[in-house]
Amino acid sequence: MIETAGHLPGLPAGEVAWRTLEFSAWGEHVQVRVPELTTAQAGALAGHVRENARSYLRTLPVCQIVTTLDAAIARLLDRDDPWRRRAEAVLPIVTGYDRESVRLGLSGSLRSFRAPQLQRFLAEDFANPAVLDGFQPAMKGGFTRAQGPQLLLHIWAGNVPGLSLWSLICGLLVKAGTVGKVASAEPLLAGWFAQILAEIDPRLGECLAVVWWQGGDAEAERAWLDEADTIVAYGGNDALAAIRARVPVTARFLPHGHRIGFGLIGAEALDTRRAGPLARLVAQDVARWEQQGCYSPQMLFVARGGAVSPREFAERVSQELGALGLRHPRRALSVAEAAGLAAWRSREEMRGFDEDGTVVLGEAGDGWSVVCSEVARPLAPSALNRTLKIVAVDSPDAVPPLVSSARAYLQTAAVAASPRELFRIAALLGEAGVTRICGFGAMAAPEAGWHNDGRFNLLDLVRLTEIEQSAERAADGFADYVD
Amino acid sequence: MTQSEIIEALLAFIEQDDASEAAFERLALAVFAHQFAHNAPYRRFAIQRGRTTLTVRSWRDIPAVPISAFKTLTLSCTPPDAAERIFMTSGTTQGGVRGKSHHPTMAVWSRSMLVNFRRRFMAGRERMAMGILFPDEVAMPNSSLAHYLALAKRDCGTADSEGFIGAAGLDLPRLSAALERAQDSGEPYALLGASFSFVHLLDALAAQGRRFALPQGSRILDTGGFKGQSREMTPDAFYDALSAALGVPREACINMYGMTELSTQFYDDGNAVCPPVKSGPHWIRSRVVDPVSGRDLPEGATGVLVHHDLAHFNCASAILTEDAGVMVEGGFRLLGRVDGADSKGCSLAVEEFLRAARG
Repeated sequence: MIETAGHLPGLPAGEVAWRTLEFSAWGEHVQVRVPELTTAQAGALAGHVRENARSYLRTLPVCQIVTTLDAAIARLLDRDDPWRRRAEAVLPIVTGYDRESVRLGLSGSLRSFRAPQLQRFLAEDFANPAVLDGFQPAMKGGFTRAQGPQLLLHIWAGNVPGLSLWSLICGLLVKAGTVGKVASAEPLLAGWFAQILAEIDPRLGECLAVVWWQGGDAEAERAWLDEADTIVAYGGNDALAAIRARVPVTARFLPHGHRIGFGLIGAEALDTRRAGPLARLVAQDVARWEQQGCYSPQMLFVARGGAVSPREFAERVSQELGALGLRHPRRALSVAEAAGLAAWRSREEMRGFDEDGTVVLGEAGDGWSVVCSEVARPLAPSALNRTLKIVAVDSPDAVPPLVSSARAYLQTAAVAASPRELFRIAALLGEAGVTRICGFGAMAAPEAGWHNDGRFNLLDLVRLTEIEQSAERAADGFADYVD
Repeated sequence: MTQSEIIEALLAFIEQDDASEAAFERLALAVFAHQFAHNAPYRRFAIQRGRTTLTVRSWRDIPAVPISAFKTLTLSCTPPDAAERIFMTSGTTQGGVRGKSHHPTMAVWSRSMLVNFRRRFMAGRERMAMGILFPDEVAMPNSSLAHYLALAKRDCGTADSEGFIGAAGLDLPRLSAALERAQDSGEPYALLGASFSFVHLLDALAAQGRRFALPQGSRILDTGGFKGQSREMTPDAFYDALSAALGVPREACINMYGMTELSTQFYDDGNAVCPPVKSGPHWIRSRVVDPVSGRDLPEGATGVLVHHDLAHFNCASAILTEDAGVMVEGGFRLLGRVDGADSKGCSLAVEEFLRAARG
């Protein structure tokens, strides 16, 4: 099977050099051709996108962009659509995630981009989304208009399908000429989405490009960084620091580093009736995208004092992970991932020899690993790939100090607690650095309009132009109807 | 068997020319029984893995301890204070935490080192003039490599062999003089040391525009990789540069693969082609396993190396390394360290977290 990644409006495919990336999983193989553009081609493509965005995308009312995006998402949600069938056939081979996980995960994230949800995105950041279309009266007086970047560059990372769509769609909503650099680990979905948009509205298709370069290739990267006025980048802090060092000082840089998620379960959620379903939801959050998402849980803090003890709850989560593994087997691990997992597991085993409170559940060969610790431990990464550490705490109040040292990496926390407790704990977690609090089972599916990393997805992209009252008043003096 | 009986048996075993799998297994089971009986943390580890002296029938069933365990546990059959020598890792990989190996006697370690070194490096010579590119034992009393090189120099080096790394680092003028003398003498010369020290030497020679053509039969032994102590070089670039700067052909550049957590070393037969096949003597055997399940992988599949070193009798003979490898005819190929992967997505992985914690 051969797939071609990218979307290069205005560049004849024959003039582009292509590199082939190889992917194998589930007994199948796919070759993905990715474009390797010269600096001159990158410049030409940037000019093409910028010019088309200026002459077309910026003239569209935002409601029309929403309609077009909705139509494109509808095709990816339609299981009979050829694009959707292609995604379901190819993405499991490219990413290694099992077919059912890809199917469920795709639908789960695409659902956030239907028209009503896109309107929610807009409403979250703009009291009056019409500011994206023209000058609107401002509360303080005068008029305001919001304009997206002329050229917005996205640098995506990782193999979680659909992650790229979050920022891609945000850029289009603010009418940015858009160039996205796909990750080598999942180079396809963003390009497909661009091509669907081009099928629906060919002129819109000229306003965005999807490209590739080898991550860390400073020369290729600099060619694009010099063209963009805003850059959204995903990746580890080392990669982000390297990019930031090359971003022109006049450009806006919006980094999204790696994150660590965790869960917190209050004693009131641990009666014998509720613990079972809760354990199932925890297992789902752990298994979704093999914990590779920024929102994925890597540690779970469980309060003592419920009818079900933390240790018993750990057993239940283990059982649920075992059951899930039968239906959705774990992705095949690379040697490095397997070694990392074995090292994590044996470190925990060793710890168990030193102190009574740590138990490693299950067999080494199981497709999951759960560690239960009776000793309070600060938040730290698990080995991902369905590995979870469950830490018993005396009360939820013990948790904020245990997570605050990872403040720079916090984002999502799932909380199971009574309403009064939820708000009390949320305040403490927010102070510790958490930006998103959700229910179990929803960790991997942020709701439409969420503020990724606590920031404004749309507002951070735009620049306001304000007409002050003085100009308005002065203009009156120059009107032809002036007395 | 008592400890002294084990030591006696091991010394006799090392002196043999070779050993059958059955002979290796007999001694491996005896050593395992000794470790199971006297090394409490290892016993707990084995029991956790469901392996006891009653269930283990083959040397392959003897549970392999991850080398990270040497950092957190004291794996010794004898009281640690009674050790004649404690070797420690450099602590570069885990934020300063150092793995330890206790040796109640150095007799087995030294015999293992020397018999194997003569066979694999000395190429039939009794002694050679040696230059050592590593600090000596006084400077690094807990370094197994410093001891290794001291033994090599003492037992296999000529009287004018010397070390060239002092408190101030590489003593280039003295080394250049020694290399010049060797060049003029026509007698083979051996340069041994840490891989990163060779990079420092290469850079220093390049800066001066100097080259040497060491006499035929000269040899180089490097070990340990670059460990962030020098710039990184690919193996091909490294051996090409060594060969060009010192006039020693790549097939006479031997890489030694050893670990603080072992008492025996592996060698290749030159680095004309990288990665070369590595192998050890008859008292150490290696496997390539799936690190998650611990099960053997078929020949040709890439996995993580497990070494079973009978000479490491006081600690744990079977260790799970952090090195990727593949079994091939005559030994294994070493494919580099497996550090645990960074996340494939956008979640924070252990490695990045540790890097950040180290600052």
